[in-house]
Amino acid sequence: MTLPSLYSRIMRRNLRRTRFKIGVALTTIIVILSIIAPLIAPYPSEGYGYVPANASERKLLPPSTQFPFGTDALGRDLFSRVLTGTRTAVIQAVSVILISLLVGMIIGVCAAYFKGLIEVTLNYFTELFMAVPSIVIALFLRLTIGQGLHVVIISLVIAWWAWYSRIAYVYAKSIVELEYVTLAKLSGLSALKIIPRHVIRNIFQALTVQAISDLGSALLEASAINFMGLGLPPGSPEWGVILYEAITERGIEAFLFSPWLVVFPGLFIFMTTLGFSLIADPLREDLDPRLRRRWKLWF
Amino acid sequence: MLEIQRGVIELNNEVIKLQDVTAGYKTVTGFKSILKRYQVVLKDINLTVSKGERVAIIGESGSGKSTLLKVIMGLLKPIKGEVYVYGKQIYKLPWRERVKIIRKIGYVPQDPYSALNPLLTVKHAISEPLEALGLKDEIIEQRVREAVKFVGLPQEVLNSTPDELSGGMRQRVLIVRALVAEPEILILDEPTSALDVSIQAQIINLLNDIYSKLKTTMITVTHDLAVAQYLADRAFILRNGSISEEGPIDQILSNPRSEYTRKLVLSYYVTSFKNNKSVGTE
Amino acid sequence: MVLAIQAKNLKIGYMDEEEQITWATRGVDLSVEEGESFCIVGESGCGKSTLASAIAGVLPPHALTMGKLYIFNQLVINESERNYNGIRGKVVSLIPQNPGTSLNPFLTIGDHFYYILRDVKGLSKSDSIKIAQEYLSKVGLGKDVLEKYPHKLSGGMQQRVLIAIALASEVKIIVADEPTSSIDANLRAQILNLLSKLVKEFKVTLLLVTHDLASASKICDRIAVMYAGKVIETGLTSSIISKPRHPYTRMLLDSVPLLGSKKSLNPLPGEPPSLVEDFTWCSFRDRCPFRIEQCSVEPPLIPVEDEPHLVRCWRFREVS
Ligand SMILES: Nc1ncnc2c1ncn2[C@@H]1O[C@H](COP(=O)(O)OP(=O)(O)OP(=O)(O)O)[C@@H](O)[C@H]1O
Ligand SMILES: Nc1ncnc2c1ncn2[C@@H]1O[C@H](COP(=O)(O)OP(=O)(O)O)[C@@H](O)[C@H]1O
Ligand code: SF4
Ligand SMILES: [Mg+2]
Ligand SMILES: [Mg+2]
Repeated sequence: MTLPSLYSRIMRRNLRRTRFKIGVALTTIIVILSIIAPLIAPYPSEGYGYVPANASERKLLPPSTQFPFGTDALGRDLFSRVLTGTRTAVIQAVSVILISLLVGMIIGVCAAYFKGLIEVTLNYFTELFMAVPSIVIALFLRLTIGQGLHVVIISLVIAWWAWYSRIAYVYAKSIVELEYVTLAKLSGLSALKIIPRHVIRNIFQALTVQAISDLGSALLEASAINFMGLGLPPGSPEWGVILYEAITERGIEAFLFSPWLVVFPGLFIFMTTLGFSLIADPLREDLDPRLRRRWKLWF
Repeated sequence: MLEIQRGVIELNNEVIKLQDVTAGYKTVTGFKSILKRYQVVLKDINLTVSKGERVAIIGESGSGKSTLLKVIMGLLKPIKGEVYVYGKQIYKLPWRERVKIIRKIGYVPQDPYSALNPLLTVKHAISEPLEALGLKDEIIEQRVREAVKFVGLPQEVLNSTPDELSGGMRQRVLIVRALVAEPEILILDEPTSALDVSIQAQIINLLNDIYSKLKTTMITVTHDLAVAQYLADRAFILRNGSISEEGPIDQILSNPRSEYTRKLVLSYYVTSFKNNKSVGTE
Repeated sequence: MVLAIQAKNLKIGYMDEEEQITWATRGVDLSVEEGESFCIVGESGCGKSTLASAIAGVLPPHALTMGKLYIFNQLVINESERNYNGIRGKVVSLIPQNPGTSLNPFLTIGDHFYYILRDVKGLSKSDSIKIAQEYLSKVGLGKDVLEKYPHKLSGGMQQRVLIAIALASEVKIIVADEPTSSIDANLRAQILNLLSKLVKEFKVTLLLVTHDLASASKICDRIAVMYAGKVIETGLTSSIISKPRHPYTRMLLDSVPLLGSKKSLNPLPGEPPSLVEDFTWCSFRDRCPFRIEQCSVEPPLIPVEDEPHLVRCWRFREVS
């Protein structure tokens, strides 16, 4: 047995497994927190943005045993706020990605399958949307329909579905040329059956991995929209909003004199995105044919 | 009198007829595809296949063999000319109607490695044509099992996925799939060129067996003259998209009329064993 | 006579995710002399490509090796160590099997020639293009392909480009892994002629890997037949073709369709065994009509009297 090569192989795989495990652990913690946050937060109502009665006595306190993350300018417990924000973070990221994936996949696959005028039109449409930044849409929605979670989600979906549409189109385009699709068509099966069975099934894995690795970016962009005050209203339990409040109320001083206001929400954003990408990277390596080991060299 | 009678019978027996077919692929895509610029691959093809016949279409790589099959199967509308399948001009029919006629054709594609969905079981793949006919599950199950037995595959393959199968097994699964809906015409695109010699011989024997039992019309596309000789009685030689010679296969191989066919036959001998029964190519 | 390639009990395996090892070659002994054209024949999955890539020095890093391999007396595989310095690309060059995946889709054909000739011979761009044109015309391609990207070429053209690239580096050993599998008879003849001309004129050593016994017999001096990772018969082309001693070789010969005579084809049913398990019996046992009790013991390599011909079969006398 060749020890060196075996050793390096096992190490490489274990490294990958370790990364994956850390990612899963981080993400699990975040998801569990998002479910039980209201139960374990020391001041649940403050988590949802209510200003406590004795606010004037506890403004901008640094971290202590009573307030592990300190308090904000309105005297609310930052730990409760950040913890409650976990749920919003998960809801935002997951719903944005799910909806974009669904819309994008259907449009991209239809473009690839039906060819001709449908293909040209859908592709044109997709390209149009790829150029739109989410912040601009959020600004527009803020001015027309006001604030709220739906503004964040809608503006991100509008900006993102086109990417999935493009990816789905590229993958599907090579699938629809394969003989098994031709055979299914020739046997008289309807497109409604062929598309899910032969096309979507075969691109789904690739799209899912892409989607998982995008969860982190979705969260970042959602937080950015909130940070700019375009999405959720002030007081909402959301990390971007918490940062926004810190900056609007204290300006640049927030960083200097009450750093806990920025550090803790920032840390949570970082850990969550890290968790998502640690899961996605090994999956992506498995999927990428160049990194995959078990390809066959038959005949 | 006799002549006329024969003519009538042949007319009724024509299952496929191509009249002056010119076909090709669009060279521009997107909005510009309205311009209808084509790269012509097939030029003025005339071809008829009668019921129960075994026909080979022989040509070099890129001569347009697979394209010709696409035209026959209703997948590529010719630029010019008429395609009749069972007397119907298939390209004048909408896709739904066309498929009803096309279903009478069983097709075994060129590359056994891309012709099975890697995520579906073999059983699923084989039952697809029956499912499209709207049959009941029990009947489908029964017919699939019978067909698998017919080509000598073990019943266990039904539950495996394609990547557990070797090339020869895949090819057999594809043949079962083509046969399961009881087609009247069997179209085979290079049925053996992706396979090793011994597996190739197994498939050739299997196809001959199928023909002697079912007497389906068989159209085989190949670049291998020896394979054509085993699987067909009549042959068309395709060269750069037009038919350069047509006739009984034995005559084409032993006494080719065109210079091109002669060259093809000769070059075959360069890479094959010498044959004692020398062929009159000189 | 100088030995160009010498393998001693060479075993090569691949490990998969479940830590199962597929032993693709299982103890191959081989010696090829300089200037010889030697052919390895066998069916898909019997380990031909693995052996070819071991000789050309392109085994994937996760392959496991045992045994020894010498190229021009330099030890390139010594048990688990592999060292192809000065050999890979300079002495041996490979015509790979999958034309589609062997060319870089982002480089034009001209660039392929340039990068390889620059590495091997230190040529400038214009010189390498000149050489590229010369060799492309030898394989029947025009100079217009130089500007093209690989996906614009048909499978047969890609394969010819790879042949031209291998020839252009002017090495001493050419390993050709099924160079004619996606090419029709007309071109196949042309390319085989070209290869055999190289052997004769430039004293190149040719190692041809194929499943097509017929074309092998046209250009090779000696043939080794492989089955399930082992060489089961080896000898001079003429004696293998006219008097096959192993039932498997016999079956291969019986399966080749002949033009002009519709002899019946008699393939043996069944397929080669999986290469994961370890056999202590003749790997052809399950398909062999000559099988006897003794075959459940590993059959030895038996020399045939008066001939440089070896067979791994207990009953070779009855077979021929
Ligand atoms: N989908 C396509 N789009 C554009 N051109 C195509 C397409 N398919 C084939 N062609 C072109 O049509 C010509 C004939 O191709 P075809 O596939 O019919 O060849 P073939 O005779 O079947 O060859 P082979 O033996 O290699 O399968 C080739 O020049 C090819 O490049
Ligand atoms: N890069 C690889 N990784 C893992 N397994 C491989 C690899 N290349 C070949 N194999 C396995 O090794 C065996 C022999 O393959 P190969 O040498 O390609 O045979 P042949 O060229 O004779 O068809 C097969 O079982 C194949 O799946
Ligand atoms: S050793 Fe026995 S089983 Fe193996 S090939 Fe010879 S006769 Fe057949
Ligand atoms: Mg191989
Ligand atoms: Mg073809």
